[in-house]
Amino acid sequence: MSEHVLPQTELEAWGTDVQVVVCETCDWRFVLPAETSLPRCPHCFGTELELLSGEVSELPYVAPPEQAVPFAVSEAQLTGGIETFAKGIPLPPKDLNPAALRARLQAIYLPRWWVDAEVAALWQAEVGFDYEVVSHQERYSDTVGGWQARKVHEGRVRWEPRAGRLRRTYENVMAPALEAEKALRAQFGDYDVTRARPYHVDMVRRAPVRLPDRVPAVAWADAEMALRRRAGDECRQAAKGDHIREYRWQPAYPKRNWTLLLLPAYTTYYLDDEQRPQPVLIHGQTGRVIGMRKASLKRAQRIALILGLMALIIFVLSSISLLAVAVAPPLLVLGGIGLLVGMVLGLSALAPLIVVWRFNRPRRRPQER
Amino acid sequence: MAQFPPPDFVQTDSAIVGIEVYMPAPEPDIAPQGVVDFKCPQCGATTAYSVADGGICCEHCGYYESPTREVVGKGAQEFEFKVETLERAAVGWGAQRKELVCENCQAHTSIPVEMLTYTCPFCGSNKVIQRDAAQDVLRPRFLIPFQVTLEGCQVVARQWLGSSWMVPKDLQRLAHVTDFVPIYLPFWTFDAVTTADWRAQVAHTVTERYRSGGEWKTRTRTVWRWESGNVRRLFDDLLIAGTERLSRVLIDRLIHFDLTHLTPYDPNYLAGIRAQAYDVSLEPAWAEARDAMREDTRRACRAQASNSRMRNFTMNLDFAEETWRYVLLPVYVGLFTYANQTFQVMVNGQTAAIAGQRPVDWTKVWLAIGGLLAPGVILGIIGLVTAILGIGVIIGVIGLVLFVIGAIIAFFIYQKAEGMDDV
Ligand SMILES: [Zn+2]
Ligand SMILES: [Zn+2]
Repeated sequence: MSEHVLPQTELEAWGTDVQVVVCETCDWRFVLPAETSLPRCPHCFGTELELLSGEVSELPYVAPPEQAVPFAVSEAQLTGGIETFAKGIPLPPKDLNPAALRARLQAIYLPRWWVDAEVAALWQAEVGFDYEVVSHQERYSDTVGGWQARKVHEGRVRWEPRAGRLRRTYENVMAPALEAEKALRAQFGDYDVTRARPYHVDMVRRAPVRLPDRVPAVAWADAEMALRRRAGDECRQAAKGDHIREYRWQPAYPKRNWTLLLLPAYTTYYLDDEQRPQPVLIHGQTGRVIGMRKASLKRAQRIALILGLMALIIFVLSSISLLAVAVAPPLLVLGGIGLLVGMVLGLSALAPLIVVWRFNRPRRRPQER
Repeated sequence: MAQFPPPDFVQTDSAIVGIEVYMPAPEPDIAPQGVVDFKCPQCGATTAYSVADGGICCEHCGYYESPTREVVGKGAQEFEFKVETLERAAVGWGAQRKELVCENCQAHTSIPVEMLTYTCPFCGSNKVIQRDAAQDVLRPRFLIPFQVTLEGCQVVARQWLGSSWMVPKDLQRLAHVTDFVPIYLPFWTFDAVTTADWRAQVAHTVTERYRSGGEWKTRTRTVWRWESGNVRRLFDDLLIAGTERLSRVLIDRLIHFDLTHLTPYDPNYLAGIRAQAYDVSLEPAWAEARDAMREDTRRACRAQASNSRMRNFTMNLDFAEETWRYVLLPVYVGLFTYANQTFQVMVNGQTAAIAGQRPVDWTKVWLAIGGLLAPGVILGIIGLVTAILGIGVIIGVIGLVLFVIGAIIAFFIYQKAEGMDDV
């Protein structure tokens, strides 16, 4: 393991004094202005955040991003989203309430690789050209006494082989910079990156910036796939075709430049029964909220216990009154009713347990952190 | 990608800077090559296509160019009904040809440029106007080369002229007068698949027993039951003539060409041979073919019903996989005059089938008709005369039967004779 020193020139490029902190629990790394501090990790909500300085085992990518998608969720939208999230949970944990979620809201930027590449390639493909043919549909009827014809146009595609040479520069090709990005995007939906603005120092002042945990060497395969898609589509346009298939190429990349695009998000959390923080993530552009909504089993158990105890007491008292029937016959009625009420109460003690169990069960999908 | 650009690829326009596009070299187009000179490379005389083996043969010096015949047959490329094809016709003939318009019968004939003297093959008139052939027509892509020689054609024609008792006796002697001209006639071939579903009320006869006046009786009654079905028909190379200048009756008799001999179009085949451009264009020809196809499909639908008696018949028909081809087919057109009348004869240049007009010796025909009717008439008269004797009725009945039979045969003879000289 070689030791590296954080590159000071890159840190200075952020436009303000920045620090790199690392969460001891989840190992996420963030860049934030030197004068601010994070009380909790915006990812796992652990409190042990350490300053990354001096010597590190692996050199992180700490240069400022090229562009960022701005936060675009209004306060009202944010409040509405959180309230909807907290609503409709039977016996929610005490901590799961809009006020608490709102108070813990933390804005962060998530990174995505934003690659510029110069490509030189030989390519080959089948290019499809749309055209129309004329066909006929006819109807015959004795009563009408003849044929009624209808001319219809049918669309077809003519495929023709094409080959060529390509030398183009592709800018802002995207590749995941986080291991979790794919799963996150599946739940979260994508961002409208056309809204991205060039990096400004206010951005890092607004929210801590998460550093990539996926190095360019790993992310390159994704970038290359995106490049291939773009080049294929451009070759289709170059050949004036309407479709392309069987695109094959032999690319070389004389120049590659890696930068970051930042995507806005909010994180917050609530504490569940075991007092573990359950993360809640909010899309910084669409306001979509994702997170695990859990009902509190503890609360359900407590209610069930109280109901059960009440049932037991009624049951015991009724039994005693039944034993005393010989002495005072009217006690038969009282004892009978009491016995019935006790049984009903005892059964209803199961209800909160069932409700909570059923609510938590289908929602128990593996959650991205 | 072992090799770049791939073999037979040529560079083409690109809509994007930085991307070069290569495409397969387009097949050499025959049209723009300009004038194809059918001059003998050895002596400069006009050469002609030789029917015997499909080569080019010079009559003057004996120069011979072996045939380059490539038969594609029914595999010959078929074309779709592209909107653009229908809207915009393709370029004209391969070699530059002249078009002759006959002032007498208005026929348009395309001839090689070097052909100077000319008479109209359709009416024999020499009142023709020469002009450059229209270039806005579709180009024929395939043809069937001539396989019947001019001599063979004469033999067939001579046999045919003497093959009927209805023609004048001296007609066969005039056979040598007939001058046959080989000509390529335009035809369209059409392929399609039709799928149809039909529905109709079909008549069913039911016998029922009923009680009337204390007795059981039976009667039959027609009940109409709904029936339905579907039909799928494949049409392969339906031929439609591309010209209206020639008698449709004659063409229909000759139309049985064997399309397995289709050959890619090559101007060489037209050396010294006239070819006619189509005057029935693609759309009307296709409409005619479609009409034949849908009537055939309708018959197939009706045949599915359990009884041919039906009412409220309706069907929906969908055409699919429609394709077309423009081909040239070989025909000899001949003319002969008899008693100051011109008669047209056509011989299929591939199968030697013959069709045409023949003068009819009406004396012979009327004599025959008279002969056929005479027994009936005579027996009838005898029957009338002998009616008083009591046996006349039987004779009269036999006479009537003979008359009817004679009249039917006479009618067919008359019809055939009418058809012979009037097509
Ligand atoms: Zn953490
Ligand atoms: Zn010669």
